[in-house]
Amino acid sequence: MASVTGTSISMASFKASLAPSSRISNVKSVSFPISGKSFTTLRMQPARFRISCAAKPETVTKVCEIVKKQLALPDDSAVTGESKFAALGADSLDTVEIVMGLEEEFGISVEEDSAQSIATVQDAADLIENLIEKKGA
Amino acid sequence: MLLLLLRHRLNFMMNIRCFQRSFSAASLAPLQLPSPMETHLWYILPNEVKNASLLNQYLEILSPCEKENVFRMRGDQLQRRALLARALVRTTIARYQTNSQVEPRSLKFKKNIYGKPEVEWQDVDGSHLPPLHFNISHTSSIIACGVTVNSAIGIDVEEKQRKLKNNILAFARRYFSPYEVGLLTAISDPEFQRQEFIKLWTLKEAYVKALGRGFSAAPFKTFTIRFRTATQGHLSERRDSKAFDVVVDSFDDPKNLTSNWQFALLELAGSHYAAICIEGDRTTEGNGTRPMKLTVRRTIPFVEDECVSGTDAVVAIVGLT
Repeated sequence: MASVTGTSISMASFKASLAPSSRISNVKSVSFPISGKSFTTLRMQPARFRISCAAKPETVTKVCEIVKKQLALPDDSAVTGESKFAALGADSLDTVEIVMGLEEEFGISVEEDSAQSIATVQDAADLIENLIEKKGA
Repeated sequence: MLLLLLRHRLNFMMNIRCFQRSFSAASLAPLQLPSPMETHLWYILPNEVKNASLLNQYLEILSPCEKENVFRMRGDQLQRRALLARALVRTTIARYQTNSQVEPRSLKFKKNIYGKPEVEWQDVDGSHLPPLHFNISHTSSIIACGVTVNSAIGIDVEEKQRKLKNNILAFARRYFSPYEVGLLTAISDPEFQRQEFIKLWTLKEAYVKALGRGFSAAPFKTFTIRFRTATQGHLSERRDSKAFDVVVDSFDDPKNLTSNWQFALLELAGSHYAAICIEGDRTTEGNGTRPMKLTVRRTIPFVEDECVSGTDAVVAIVGLT
């Protein structure tokens, strides 16, 4: 029986432990059962709801590196899977440069409509792995 | 000093139609709507706006959702930028009044089906509301908002000094059309090439934003922005061959035959390139050959507005009188 000592649980770590092989992406707010009670709130953006396999941490890390470099952020700045490009100050030219950097790094080709749906680092990492997988198929 | 005074006089006389500097504390000077085919461009220089109580005034007029978005931005600079952008949109639109005074904070916004922000007019008294269109763009040192009546509008601003992280030609080959790649490749001076690249980028962005159907509806590779010069059809590296207008050729959009896109490109506030694209008058022959009527104003909402058309702050590159 898991015992919860603190009252706040970091979202990222909790999500990872809940479902290692699948996850619901773009979830805005989720309440996890702690004391056995059922889900209370589940808010999602219907238009972008998709269940996908979470990208490998190495991919996410690599994307973070490329993003930090493009936006000239200090190495120690907190960029994670949940970071939104816009919130980090990326404008459209930055985003396009980032996509180009990702294409070169991972040897993939990103379609415009896929590029448009990338809002967070995680989105980019998931897309990359998706494309790599399709390439290999 | 005398020359400076003389120049001020000339500018003043040349711009009689321009509104004079007006300071209205805690209120917005109301304005006439732009006439059809006229564009108004407003901009804020964020470095001029640091006063905490003024920034709070701006925060007051935002919707709860907008406030959330502001605070989601990472760090003070980005937050201030996001705040000023929304404040600029709200205060600018609120100025253009027909019958009733609209409070900036009472404006409602929505997105079209492709995600382009629009005003959601509240039909008060059944009066006919102005089909006001707007579009914003910002960099770390400027926030701009373009306004038109009856035409779709898209604008883009970029710092003149902006450097790509990638190689320009590699970037162009990946994203631009073959014609544009050719144009850039023909430029041997790296600095001139970089400048022309930024200009092309802003024009392409402005076009896609005017279309309002999202980046993926008009991928950059599927249309060409062309400068038309006196020596038609010649790719020219000579900086003195002045372009008289800009046109767009779209490869796979048949609607382009019925649409008429008009472009303007200018240097703004000495530091930026600004591109404006508006949907032209369909009754005109050709592809937007008339120069764009543009009025540019620098503003600090609730504090001051200054018409800067005809000054150093606005240097026409192409498409303007």
